[in-house]
Amino acid sequence: MSETTPTTTYWKSLNELAENQEYKKYAEREFTENATELNDGVSRRGFLRVMGASIALAGFAACRRPVQKILPYSRQPEDIVPGIPLYYATSMPLMGSLVGLVAENHEGRPTKLEGNDMHPASRGGTNAFHQAAILNLYDPDRSRFPRKDGQRASLEDFSTFLSEELGRTTAKRILFISEANSSPTLAAQKAYLTNTYFDNAEWVTYEAFGEENAFRGTDLAFGSRLRPYYKYDQADVVVSLNDDMLSATHPNNVEYSNQITGKRKVTSTKDTMSRIYAVEDSFSVTGSYADNRLRLKASQIPAFTFALAQALSEQTSGLDAFSGVNNSFVGHEWISALAEDLLANRGRSAVSAGLEHAPEVHAAVAAMNVALGNAGNTVDYLEVPHAGDSVETTFEDALTRLNNDEFDVAVIVGGNPVYTSPELAQAIGKVETVVHLSDFYNETSKAATWHINRAHFLETWGDGYSFGGTRSVIQPQIQPLHGGISEIEFLSMFSGSMAKGYDLVRNTFAEYYNDLDAAWVNILHDGIDRIDSFAKPNVRVTSSLGSAVAGALNQTPGSGMEVVIRPDASVYDGRFANNGWLQELPDPMTKITWDNVALMSPATAAQLGVENEDVVSVTVNESSVTIAAWIQPGHVDDAITLSVGYGREGIGRVANRYMDYTSGGSDTYPLRAHNSLFSAGSVSKTGETYEIACVQDHHSLEGRDLYRQATIEKYKKTPEYASFAYIHKYEVPGLKEAAAKGEDEPISLFDEQVYPEYEPQWGMAIDLNSCFGCGVCIIACQSENNIPVIGKKEVKRGREMHWIRNDRYFVGEDADNPQAVHQPVPCMHCELAPCEQVCPVAATTHSNDGMNQMTYNRCIGTRYCANNCPYKVRRFNFFNYPKEYLTTGDDPDIIQMAMNPEVTVRFRGVMEKCTYCAQRVNRAKISAKIETGSPKPADGTVKTACQQACPADCISFGDLTDPNSEVSKIKRNERNYQMLEELNTRPRTSYVAKLTNPNPALA
Amino acid sequence: MSTQPYVPAPPLVKGDHDFASITRLVTDVNLRPTPKAWYLFMILANALAGVLLISIGYLIWEGTGIWGLNNPVGWGWAIINFVWWVGIGHAGTLISAILFLFRQDWRTAINRFAEAMTIFAVMCAGVFPAIHVGRIWVIYWVFPVPNQMYMWPNFNSPLLWDVFAVSTYFTVSLLFWYVGLVPDLATLRDRATDKIRQIAYGIGSLGWTGSNRHWWNYEKAYMILAGLATPLVLSVHTIVSFDFAVSMIPGWHTTIFPPYFVAGAIFSGFAMVLTLMIVARKVYNMKDIMTDDHMEKMNIVILVTGSMVGFAYMMEFFIAWYSGVEYEQAIFILRATGPYAWAYWTMMTCNVLSPQFFWSKKLRRNVGFTFFISIVVNIGMWFERFVITVTSLANDYLPSSWDYYSPTIWDALTYLGTFGLFFTLFLAFLRFLPMIAIAEIKAVMPQADPHNYNEETNEYHPPKVEVPKPQLETV
Amino acid sequence: MTQIFPKWTNQVPRQLLIGLIVVANVVIFGVWYFFSPEYTDVGYAPEQPVPYSHKLHVSQLGLDCQYCHTSVWDSKQANIPATQTCMNCHNQIKTDSDKLAPIRNSWETGEPIEWVRVHNLADYAYFNHAAHVNVGVGCESCHGRIDKMEVVYQAEPLSMGWCLDCHREPEKFVRPIEEVTTMGYSVENQIELGKELVAKNNIHPPQYCQGCHY
Repeated sequence: MSETTPTTTYWKSLNELAENQEYKKYAEREFTENATELNDGVSRRGFLRVMGASIALAGFAACRRPVQKILPYSRQPEDIVPGIPLYYATSMPLMGSLVGLVAENHEGRPTKLEGNDMHPASRGGTNAFHQAAILNLYDPDRSRFPRKDGQRASLEDFSTFLSEELGRTTAKRILFISEANSSPTLAAQKAYLTNTYFDNAEWVTYEAFGEENAFRGTDLAFGSRLRPYYKYDQADVVVSLNDDMLSATHPNNVEYSNQITGKRKVTSTKDTMSRIYAVEDSFSVTGSYADNRLRLKASQIPAFTFALAQALSEQTSGLDAFSGVNNSFVGHEWISALAEDLLANRGRSAVSAGLEHAPEVHAAVAAMNVALGNAGNTVDYLEVPHAGDSVETTFEDALTRLNNDEFDVAVIVGGNPVYTSPELAQAIGKVETVVHLSDFYNETSKAATWHINRAHFLETWGDGYSFGGTRSVIQPQIQPLHGGISEIEFLSMFSGSMAKGYDLVRNTFAEYYNDLDAAWVNILHDGIDRIDSFAKPNVRVTSSLGSAVAGALNQTPGSGMEVVIRPDASVYDGRFANNGWLQELPDPMTKITWDNVALMSPATAAQLGVENEDVVSVTVNESSVTIAAWIQPGHVDDAITLSVGYGREGIGRVANRYMDYTSGGSDTYPLRAHNSLFSAGSVSKTGETYEIACVQDHHSLEGRDLYRQATIEKYKKTPEYASFAYIHKYEVPGLKEAAAKGEDEPISLFDEQVYPEYEPQWGMAIDLNSCFGCGVCIIACQSENNIPVIGKKEVKRGREMHWIRNDRYFVGEDADNPQAVHQPVPCMHCELAPCEQVCPVAATTHSNDGMNQMTYNRCIGTRYCANNCPYKVRRFNFFNYPKEYLTTGDDPDIIQMAMNPEVTVRFRGVMEKCTYCAQRVNRAKISAKIETGSPKPADGTVKTACQQACPADCISFGDLTDPNSEVSKIKRNERNYQMLEELNTRPRTSYVAKLTNPNPALA
Repeated sequence: MSTQPYVPAPPLVKGDHDFASITRLVTDVNLRPTPKAWYLFMILANALAGVLLISIGYLIWEGTGIWGLNNPVGWGWAIINFVWWVGIGHAGTLISAILFLFRQDWRTAINRFAEAMTIFAVMCAGVFPAIHVGRIWVIYWVFPVPNQMYMWPNFNSPLLWDVFAVSTYFTVSLLFWYVGLVPDLATLRDRATDKIRQIAYGIGSLGWTGSNRHWWNYEKAYMILAGLATPLVLSVHTIVSFDFAVSMIPGWHTTIFPPYFVAGAIFSGFAMVLTLMIVARKVYNMKDIMTDDHMEKMNIVILVTGSMVGFAYMMEFFIAWYSGVEYEQAIFILRATGPYAWAYWTMMTCNVLSPQFFWSKKLRRNVGFTFFISIVVNIGMWFERFVITVTSLANDYLPSSWDYYSPTIWDALTYLGTFGLFFTLFLAFLRFLPMIAIAEIKAVMPQADPHNYNEETNEYHPPKVEVPKPQLETV
Repeated sequence: MTQIFPKWTNQVPRQLLIGLIVVANVVIFGVWYFFSPEYTDVGYAPEQPVPYSHKLHVSQLGLDCQYCHTSVWDSKQANIPATQTCMNCHNQIKTDSDKLAPIRNSWETGEPIEWVRVHNLADYAYFNHAAHVNVGVGCESCHGRIDKMEVVYQAEPLSMGWCLDCHREPEKFVRPIEEVTTMGYSVENQIELGKELVAKNNIHPPQYCQGCHY
C-alpha cells in the first residue's frame, strides 16, 4: 500500500481545520496565566473523532483510507492523560447570582457542564440555561473583536481612547449601566470608579426581570433592602402568589426546586408531603406542580394578596396595615382556606410573590411571613451588599437624567438594555459616547460608539455570590476563543490599569484570607469559598408600612383585556436567543419551540375568534406587536401572556428572524414598561397566520393509564392505586399462564434473554411526584449525546431528535382550568423489545447488561423499529442533520468543540435513541473491572446525563442485580409502575406514580 | 362406447376462426410495422419513467427527509405503493397457475397478458423496499452473505421474509411466463421475415421445433411450474401482510391480515387486468378472443373478492370491540371518525360498495361500466393500504406522540414514476411478444377437439351446440 | 423452414452456462480476497516525519513500550509520547542528527510533531487500551512484532471479525499481565494457561454491540 494515500476532499477540509488559527492559539499556549490547575492543550483527536464519526458513517472510510495526523503535546502538561476527561469546579453568573457548576474537560476542551453537588444553589442540579451555556461558549456568532462605530478595532485602540477621552480628570459625566452582578470584585471597582476615581460618574443596575421590586418591597416593610431567601425544605405549606420559583427564569430556581420537591418525596404510606398553592394568571410549571391552583389576572394578584393579609391580620399581630382592606376578594373561599392552612402552620409555611409584582405586594408578603413567624424559619431576609447599594442610582432616576442631557458618556457593562428597555433605547440617544461590553454584537452594540467583545464565563476569572450568599470563584476552563475580556477586566481598564482577571479576583480574595495561597487550592477545587456570607438581620415591620401601602390598597384591579409580559423559558430575556439547544427546547407548558406566542385562555380565544397560529395584533398604549396566538388551557380569561427575547435581527444565524418571517418570533419589549408586569391593552385578529412548531399535537390522555396519580389520602387508603390490577380490575394477561410454568413474568412467544450473573443489569425509575417539567433533562441529554439541532421547519414536520422528551398532558373535566402533568419519556429499554424483533439487519439488539442497544453503523434505516416502538422514543436522521449542524457557517469547527468525543455523531439515514448514556456506563464498567475485577460499578458511580442534571432528583438509575441500589429500592415501592405493562415489553424504565396533596376545603 | 350423446362446450373463441387466422390475428401485431401511436405512448411512458429516476436520484442525494414521513409515521407512500403493486401482481400467476390446475380453459385468452402485467407490477413494487431505506448503499446487509463483521441478518424480521418472498415469487412467475412463451416465440420466429426478428425470436424459442418430445417436456414443465407457483400466489401477500401483522401497533397487530390481504390482492389484480384488457382488446381488436364472457367471469371474481375484503373490514371492527383492547378500539374508531376519516370512507366506497353492482348480469357484461369500476377498485385498494399503514402509526399508544402525516411532492412523483416504468415495459411487451398464448388458445378451439372430425374422412365439421333432452328411459 | 442458426450454436447454451459459473466464482473469490481488511489494511506503513525505529529502540536499546506509551494502563488511548519524552535522551544523544531536527524544532517552538496515524479504527468503534492490557491482552496481539519493525506498519486487519475471534475465545490469546509488553511471547500450553487466566482475571469480553459501538 502506497505510503502517501490520497485524501478525500472531505478530509482536506479537516486538514484546513487543523490549520485553523483558533487551534494554532491553543497549541501555542500551555497554561492560562498563573493557573497551574488549568491547561488548554487541545487534542485534535477529539475533533477528528467528532468529524471522523460522520465521515466513517458516510462510508467514505471504507472506500479510501484518510490520512489522520496525531499531534501529541510538545511539553506534556500535568494531570492530562489523553482520553481521560478532567473535571474542574466553576460557577455560572446569571440574574445577579452564581450557581456552582463542574465542567467536564476533554484534553483541555470543556464539553459538558454539571451541577456542583457541594454548592448549595446547585446540589448537583442545574437548569436548562446552565446546561446550554456550553453551546454559548462555542457559538460561532459571538462577537470576536472590539468595534468602534461598527468598524473593527482593537483593545489597544480602546485603552488609548480611555486614556485620552476618559482620563481621571475628565469633565465628562459618565453613567455606568450594569446588569445585575454579584461579583465582590466588581462591587469594589464600582465603588472606586464612582466615588474615588471619577468626579462625576453614576452607576445604575438594570435587569429587565430583576429583583428590584422585591428589594423595594422589603424596604417598605422593614425599612431596609433585603432579599427574601426561602428555605422550602422547612415549609409544609407553600403559597405562591404568581411566583414561578420552579422555572429557570427564577434566579434561584435550582435550589428551590430541589427543596420543594425534596419535601414531597414519599417512600411509604407513613410519609407526609408539603402542600403547594399557586395563584397565577398564566399556566406556569409551578402552577402545574401545585396541589391547588387558582386562576387570577395578574392585576388581581395585589388585591388578593392584601385580602389574604387582611384575613391573617385578625389572628396575627403586625398586619394592622392591612386590617382595613375591603376588596372583592375578602371572604373569597380561597382566602379563608389559605388563611386557615397558613395559621395552622405558623413557622412552617412560606408565602412568596412573583418578582415583577409591585413593591407593595412584596411588602405585604414580607409582613405576612413575619406575622406567621416564618421569618427566620422558612424564609431569611438577607442583606445583599452588591444589590442597589448607596453608590447606585435608581433606573427611573437614570432615565430622567439621561433625557435631561445630564450625561455625556454611557458605559454599558454587559446586558442588552437597548433591546430590553425601549425607554432606555430612546434616552441613550442623548449621550455622545456609548461604550458597550457584550458577548454579541447586538442591538445595544449597534447603538454604541465602542463595542468590546466580552469573554464567556468559562473563559475568564471571576467571582460572586449565589442567591443564598455562597461565595465562589468563577474558574475559566479554556483561553478566550476570541480574545474577549470579562467585565472586571473591562472596568479595570477605566482606572488605567489593564489588570488580568486572575489578579483582580486574587486581590479581592486576599482581603478575606491572611494566607490566600493555602486556601486558594480548596476554593478552586470545591468551587466554594464561604457558604453564608450575607448578614441576616432580625426584621421588624416598620410602623410606616401602613401609609406606604395605603395607595396600593385602594387600587381596584382593572377590568378588560390586560397584557402580561414575562421572561421566556428558553431564551430568558433574549440573551440565549442564539442558542440552538434552547431554541429547540420545547416550552415546559406549551411544548412550543423556536417562537414566542400570545397565550390566551380558550374562552378569550373564542371571544376574539382566534385559533392557534392565527396572528393577532397586541396593542399597549400606542405601540403594538403582531404575534401568533396560542390557546393555553388553564390561562386566565381576558388576559394575554407574552414572552420576550424573540424577533431578533442581526444577532446570529439561530436567533435571527428570517426575512420571510417564517420563524424567529416577535419582539414584545416595545409593549413593556420596565417596572410593570402587566398593563391594560387591546388584542385584535389580523387575519394572517403564522406556523408554530409545537412538538405535541394531542394533549389529552384519552383516559389511558399511561400517567397514574392519586391524592395522598387515597394512597394511604389504597397503596396499590398505581397497579395495573387495581386500575383495570384484572391481572396483566399472561401472568396466570406464567405462574403455571413457575415464572413470574407474563409468558412470551419469544425466547427469554439470558443475563450472565457477572454483568450488572441496568434500570431506571422516574419519580413523577418530583417532576415539574422544566426540561433540563432534554438539554443535558442533547449536550451529552451530540444530538443535533434540526431547526423549526423539521420540528414542525414532527422530526424532533431529542432522546428524552417531556410529555405534558392536561387532565380533569374543566377544560378552562385543567391540571397539567409532566411525564419524561426516554427509551424504556424493554427486555422484550418490539424494535429488536423487526430489524432486518440486527442493528438493534439486547446487551448482556440488559440494555436495548442501537448500533448506528449497522443500521440501514428501514424505520421499522420506530414504527413498532409503543413508546415512540426512536429518532430517525431524515437528513444529514449533524453535517448541517456542525459544518455550516464560516467557522464550523467551533461548534464541533462542544461535541462529546465519547459519542458517535450519527449520519443521515440511521436510527438513534436513548442509550442510558452507554458511554458513561461503559467507562464506569471498565474502571470498575480494572479496579475491582468485576464489571459491576458501585451504586451511584454511573449517572445518566438526565439524572445528573435534574434538580429534583426525579430520575434514579443503577444496577438491578444489587438489591440495595437506589433504583432497586424505588422499584420495590408499591407506587412503581411500568407504562403499557400489558404489552409485556418489560421496560427497564419504570415510573413512580404521582401524589397530590390538595386542600379538601377547596376540592 | 357409451350411449350418452356428446355435448360440446360453448366455443371460447368467437367468430369464424381457424388455427391460421388465430396465428395471424395474434402475431401480426408483433410483425407488422410499428404504428405511430405506439411511439407516442412509449415516449410518454419513458418520460414518466424518467420522473421515477429523477426522484430516486434526489432521494438518495438528499435523504429520506424529502418524503413526508415524520416521527410516529415512519412508513408512508413508499410502503403503500409497494403493497399496492405487489397486490396487483397477483392476478397473473393466479390466472395462469391456479386456473390452469382447475382446468379453467377460459384462462388461455388472458393468461399471457395477465402474467406480463404481474411481472411488471412486481418490478414496480420491488423498487420501493429498496429505496425507502435510509442508507441504500448498505442494503445488501439484508442478504445472508458471510462477511468480515461476522454478522447475519435478523431472521426474525418480517422485512427479511419479504425480501425472500417477493424475489421468489418474481423468479417463478418470470420462469412460468417464459416457459409458456417458448412455443409462441417459435411461431413468431417462423413467421418473421427479417433476419433480426428471426434471430431474436430464434434465441428466445430455444430451438423449438414442435416435435412430440418438445411438447411432452413443455407440458410437464408447465405443469410443474404451475404447481410451484400456486402456493406462492397465496404465500407472497401473506408474508407482505406479516410486515404489519407481526408488529404490535394497534390496527396492524391483526391475525386476519393474511387471508384479507390475499383476497384484496386478487381483487385489485383482476381489476388491473380488466383495465388493461378492455383497452388492449379494443386497440388490437381481439374481441373474438378476449370476449365479454371473459369479462363477466372476471367481474364475478371481483365481486367475490370484493365482498371478502368488505367482510374483513367488518371483522376488524368486531375483533377490535370483542378483544376489549382499548388501544385497538381507539384506532378503529379513529379511522372512521378521526383525522383520516376521508381516506377510510373513500376506501369503503371503492372497495366494498362498488363491486356490489356486479350482482347484476347486465352491468357485469357492460364494458364501459366494468372499465370504470376496475379503476375505482384500484383507487380503493390504494387507499386501503394508506389507511392501514398511516392511520395506525399516526395514532398509536401514547397520545403525546400522535402526529398528522402529509406527503410531499416527491412522494407523489415517485409513485407516478412507477407507472412510467410499468407502461414502458407493458408497451414493449405488447409490441414484441404475443399478447395471447397462441398455442394454448388453439388447444381450446373446437378444431382441437377430435370429436369434431369425421373419423373416416378426417374432415372437420364445426360442432352443433344443442341442449340434450332429459333421458327418461334408464340405461 | 430455413435454418437461422448454424450448427455450432448448439454448443452456445452449454458454454454460456459453464462460463457463467466460472465468472461467478472468480467474482466471489475476488471480493472475498481483495475487499477484505486483510488485503486492504494490513501492511499500511506510512512515512513518519521522524524515521523513528522501533526495532532500534526496542530490541537493541531495550526500551519497554510503557516508557513512551505511558497512559496505556489508565486510558483508552495509548498516547503518542510528547516531544519531551524524546528529548529526555536526545538532548544528550545524537543532538546534531538531521533526522532529529523535527524533534528539536518542536521542542524549541512548542509546535507538536505531526505523526501519521497507523492503527486507525473507524470512529464508531470504541477501543479502550486500559480495558485490554489490564486483563492480559499483549501489545503484540494487535500491533504485531513492533520490536522487529524499522517502520511501523499495521500487522493485523483490525476488522470486526478479527476482534470477535478473541472476544469469543479469549483463552487462545490472553497472557499473564506481567507479560503484556513482552514481544514474541508464546507458551505450549496456551489453551490451559489461557483458561486459567480467563478464570483468574474474570475475563468476559463483551460480544454484544454496545461493548464497542455507541
